[in-house]
Amino acid sequence: MKLFSAQNITYSINENKLFHKLSFEINSAEGLHIKGGNGSGKSTLLRIILGITSPSKGSIESFNQDLKIAYLGHKNAIKNYLTPIQNLELLFNDVELNLAFKWLHKFGLSHVQDELTANLSFGQQKKLALIRVLAKSSELIVLDEPFVGLDQVATDQLNNFLIEKLSEGVGLVFTSHIKPMIECKVLHLGRNNA
Amino acid sequence: MLRLIKSESFKLSNKLKAWLGPLLIMVLVLIAFPLSIDISQYDLDKFYFSIIVVSLLMTSFVATEGMFEEDFEDGSLEQEFLIEKDFYKLVLSKIFVYVCLIGIPIAFIGALFSFANGVAIGSFAKVFLLLSLSNLLLFNLFAFGNALSINKGAMLGVLSSLPLALPVIILLGRAIRSIQYGDGFSTIIILMLGIGLVMSAIMPLIISATLKTHID
Repeated sequence: MKLFSAQNITYSINENKLFHKLSFEINSAEGLHIKGGNGSGKSTLLRIILGITSPSKGSIESFNQDLKIAYLGHKNAIKNYLTPIQNLELLFNDVELNLAFKWLHKFGLSHVQDELTANLSFGQQKKLALIRVLAKSSELIVLDEPFVGLDQVATDQLNNFLIEKLSEGVGLVFTSHIKPMIECKVLHLGRNNA
Repeated sequence: MLRLIKSESFKLSNKLKAWLGPLLIMVLVLIAFPLSIDISQYDLDKFYFSIIVVSLLMTSFVATEGMFEEDFEDGSLEQEFLIEKDFYKLVLSKIFVYVCLIGIPIAFIGALFSFANGVAIGSFAKVFLLLSLSNLLLFNLFAFGNALSINKGAMLGVLSSLPLALPVIILLGRAIRSIQYGDGFSTIIILMLGIGLVMSAIMPLIISATLKTHID
């Protein structure tokens, strides 16, 4: 099933084209890995796909207006003055909360679950932020550099989770400098796109 | 909507500085003022209202300073946009929660202090109602200011929206005179209630569009 398609997407900042006339589509059970150097517009493209940022030219067509999207960008969207448990309670309903607690345990965060999130390390905060995506039922997962800050165990767990989600029919779009274990289409942003 | 009210209440109640700060400033100003003047020279029960009005302006100014900034900085606004596709409900919920958890306690403190400084006990409810409605108006205005300059330090935007609060202060002054001289209070309260309702419906639309511009 087609989730969305991008037609001739162009994005410019002060006359400089980050990318030019990109066209692609995402279907269920399909992954898209967006690659490119620093400043090539990977995060911007994700935000355009999500509808947060408007493209300079071109359009994104979504085939389901009520598409459930799980997104994790550069900003973690976690509250430093709350504990990990409180952060999760803020995000999830009772059903999802059980799954979120399981991920908290899997990621080895159980021993810090009652500490202030501000006191956690960068990696621990990243894991907590990832639980937002992992425990949420969604049809499309959008991740910006999801492997940054994760140890090898957590990286493998995330890879396995994403492979499992793809097999369940969820669409996946992500940016990463690390070669993932997931088989998916690759979109390379660079000079040839501008 | 209920989800948003619940989560906003939870977040605000866990940010001690955000809700306790304005309340303490209100108390501090209301205590410090009578101590700083020679009370015997003034008719304090009449004069005291002015300082309540200024304190109210200042505390609502401080209370709304970080209303959207934190959510903008940590990416929560983007997450909310993905769920709701705009910020109308979020803004409405935030203003409601701020008025309930900060605005109404501030109004209560103001009413309590006016009573303690010689205002007739029969006027307590009137003062409380008046200050609560004023807070509703001021929080809406300052929330807009906060949203305006969310990426340049929210205080700047709140400051720039200060002139918009002047009509509220004028209205408040008129209402206070009506309490003191017992004339036309209900007319002014109905007027303030009407403005409050209209503002509460329209302002979140404007603020929502402003926030969307910032995350774009």
